[in-house]
Amino acid sequence: MSDASWVVPGDQVLHERDRVELSLPARPELLFLLRMTAAAVASRADFGYDQIEDLRLAIDELALTVCGDEASAGRLQLLFKWTDDAIEVVGIYEPEDSGGSRPDLSIAQPVNELSARILDALVDEHGADVVSGCPRAWLRMRRRKGGHR
Amino acid sequence: MTTDVNFDVSEIDRGGTPVLEVRGEVDVSTAPELRERLLALAEQGRTLAVVDLSDVSFVDSTALGVLVSGVKRLRSAGGDLRLVVTQPRISKVFEITGLTDVFHIYKSAAEAVKA
Repeated sequence: MSDASWVVPGDQVLHERDRVELSLPARPELLFLLRMTAAAVASRADFGYDQIEDLRLAIDELALTVCGDEASAGRLQLLFKWTDDAIEVVGIYEPEDSGGSRPDLSIAQPVNELSARILDALVDEHGADVVSGCPRAWLRMRRRKGGHR
Repeated sequence: MTTDVNFDVSEIDRGGTPVLEVRGEVDVSTAPELRERLLALAEQGRTLAVVDLSDVSFVDSTALGVLVSGVKRLRSAGGDLRLVVTQPRISKVFEITGLTDVFHIYKSAAEAVKA
């Protein structure tokens, strides 16, 4: 992935305090690793309990957004970055060139509307597009007033 | 049968009504087992069932999709799929998706069975 792939619309995390990159096989049984990482990052960024839980769910939905429709054996690349008042996450699904078994993400297909409702409710901004032929989704969550732990 | 240590479904009978007691995290990895259990009930001719989510710590849209499919199936047969939700985090997911208007949600399995 080029550095440009990680720049998302309305990118406002200009003075990031830190960033974490995660790369893992796009398999359903590994989604819990995303939730664990999201919780750790949000905690590190000093977000409150409710927002940590919100981010865990939002990350799950973000992963379903990029891996759900055309998933073949491939990898999910995640970039978390944060400032004093916001966390931004970008997820990119990179399909394998050929071969490999297809993960069974078909169960996610009928729930796209539910997924969108969840993201609308939990994060401040989110979106999805395609960069360099790879599905990409992103979200941005700002610290709520009184949101420190 | 799932091998996920953070998920389990067991079935008990409450006065003739099957109650699926779900524990742990229900996501794209574990929701298929819940779907299979609900399908099995329908294939047995059950039209009324309860899914107890009291011990569930996480649900995502795939879990909700499985429950929506289940309630549609049972209602089309003249029955219902009732839910037990006690955790605020889980209640919140039903509220933000508007599914509190779809499901009959109770605070205990006993209440759900009697309703």
